[in-house]
Amino acid sequence: MMTGLTRRYLVAAALMMAVAFGGAMSKATAEDVTLTVWSHEADELGKVAFRELAARNLEKSHPGLHVKITWYEKNPLIAALKTALPAGQGPDAFYVEPDQTEYITSGYVIPLDTLVNWTTIQDWARKVWMVDGKTYGLPQEGYTNEIYYNKSLLKRFGVTLPANAQFTQSEFFGLVTKARAAGVTPIAQGVGDRPFPGAYILGEALLRKLGPDDYRNLFTGKLSFQDARVVAVFTWVKTLVDAGAYPKNFMTLKLGESHYYFYRKPGALMLPMGSWYTGRAFVPEDKGGQPKDFPLGLMQFPAMDGGACNECKTGGIGASFAINAASKHKELAAEYLNAMSTPEMGKRWIETIYLQTAVKVDVKEFSGPYASYFKELLERQKGAKYFIGMPRNLITGQCKDTFEQVMNAGFPGGLLPVDRALQTMNQACYKG
Amino acid sequence: MLRTFYNSVHTVRPHGVLEYVGLRNFAELVRVDPVFWKAVGNTAIFAIAGTTADVVGGLLLALSLFSRPPFAKFLRVVWFTPVLMSYVVVGIIWVWIYDFDWGFANLVLRWLHLGALTRSWLGDPSTALASVLVTHIWKWLGFNMIIFLAALYALPGEVLGAAELDNCSGVAKLVHIIVPMLRPTIVNLLVLSFIGKMMIFDLVWVMTGGGPLWSTETVSTYVYKRAFDWNTFDLGYPSAIAVLWFGIIIAFVVMMTRLLRPRDRLEF
Repeated sequence: MMTGLTRRYLVAAALMMAVAFGGAMSKATAEDVTLTVWSHEADELGKVAFRELAARNLEKSHPGLHVKITWYEKNPLIAALKTALPAGQGPDAFYVEPDQTEYITSGYVIPLDTLVNWTTIQDWARKVWMVDGKTYGLPQEGYTNEIYYNKSLLKRFGVTLPANAQFTQSEFFGLVTKARAAGVTPIAQGVGDRPFPGAYILGEALLRKLGPDDYRNLFTGKLSFQDARVVAVFTWVKTLVDAGAYPKNFMTLKLGESHYYFYRKPGALMLPMGSWYTGRAFVPEDKGGQPKDFPLGLMQFPAMDGGACNECKTGGIGASFAINAASKHKELAAEYLNAMSTPEMGKRWIETIYLQTAVKVDVKEFSGPYASYFKELLERQKGAKYFIGMPRNLITGQCKDTFEQVMNAGFPGGLLPVDRALQTMNQACYKG
Repeated sequence: MLRTFYNSVHTVRPHGVLEYVGLRNFAELVRVDPVFWKAVGNTAIFAIAGTTADVVGGLLLALSLFSRPPFAKFLRVVWFTPVLMSYVVVGIIWVWIYDFDWGFANLVLRWLHLGALTRSWLGDPSTALASVLVTHIWKWLGFNMIIFLAALYALPGEVLGAAELDNCSGVAKLVHIIVPMLRPTIVNLLVLSFIGKMMIFDLVWVMTGGGPLWSTETVSTYVYKRAFDWNTFDLGYPSAIAVLWFGIIIAFVVMMTRLLRPRDRLEF
């Protein structure tokens, strides 16, 4: 028969074992936490290093946590998310861009308002991700649309950039014809693997001609593509296309290849691109980067005759991150997002990726090999009125598909006359 | 597959909520979706022209090898190699071949002083579909060739020998003896090739993504776009496309096998 003392010993031993096992179990749980992140931009070394650094920093401050980032190209990432999220699976946090509104409307991402530290994020950037008063994405990358150009070629053609770095319609057309006559491709652009680059010139021209309100109206179905101002812009762009503005392999030239085409072989005068140009260009030459001595310049998109807002330019948010509504580690996921958004990381973003960021950063002086580039980039922002978002951020469904086929590819590719392009866009987008 | 049928009569809302819509997806598809009909037209051209070229070309290659020309083994390996390559690799190679500036196709034309004929083969709606089709035929011709070659070697030697004794010409032997005896093989390859081309996706996706201006859009690429590129998680409409197309393929396969089925059993 068990004595009272023995029973007490046994109870004490059991309690000690329970505490010991419990401790071991809770420790094991902490050690087992793996935060999964799916990210695009596998081919942009600077961004890969940046996000991996944030992951390692978070692991250091959270012993037992492992952050596993899976790197994708954009289309495979979208396809993977489209199947994983409805199945209640997918990563804890993932890369998104502002045109991917379906995650919000479908409830697959959670509001981040109380989870994320917003004091380090620019207010205008946060607004891009706000729907019905809630914020669904943490913006990381800021960008503006610019025309990159080869300064030596411009000089060779005897053309001087105006003080405001903005040519008029006719001057820009003259530049295109001069380049083509000299056997140089005026604009190195291709749509082989992206649904938007072909519409840079057309889209920015429409923004300047219409002004921000009517530009928004055009892409939200409230303004007809038969509007006289829209017709005038399409007609002008058609003259550029007919003058040979784009390369002959425009339809199959891929985004990465268009960079190479511009600064390496065969070389081109201009490359309209988001300021995330740097992600591909400012990498070592043996990895496809821009030659160190390349005479890179930045100019504004041309002013439109009678333009409502020639000082307008597109700014936007690119890379952003959201948290899966089905995640079991939402707070840890938010901490990862915070880890990428500290002022120190924001500074690092600018200094290593040479690109604007949504993080509040107080950088007054630039150093390093690309300091002059960054100064010129900021110079091009002076006096600008920003329209936040690309046309693709405003459209969905059939309108988006038609935009990709017509404004991005068919029209600048010289496959459609003005009237047919306008008619096709109107049928797909105009709700009036 | 059953899920696809089920989804096709529903609108799939987020979090798996299904709203029954009956045949509405099918009605919309048939009545008001111009891209679907464009895709149907392209796929039909692809399937008919591609299947014919595949089978006829495969038979001709097999016959040429059957006649034991010099380097027959080498040619057999060369012609069969593309079959072993993935669509992605084949697609990338041929995008290079078709490139306007440095592509092999245009380089040859320029070398032949036929520069006026150079073009962006995949960027021109009038040539894009044909260019993809050529690539697809290049990839699959070797497969048909091997099947035909095996069938040719299985033909009874005494029948072919008897034809030669009767002074039967090569063409007559081909038309009246070889082709009839190969009929089951031809039918099988026609059906297999037809099904494959009606479902073509990978190669088109890699080479053109359905462009330019929907000129290479196929039913499969359109299903993918509706499912993954339209800012929606609704799989109902793309499922309706898939179900309708499945029905059409089954109908054509049944029709083809019935039409091409031998009336009398050939005995040898």
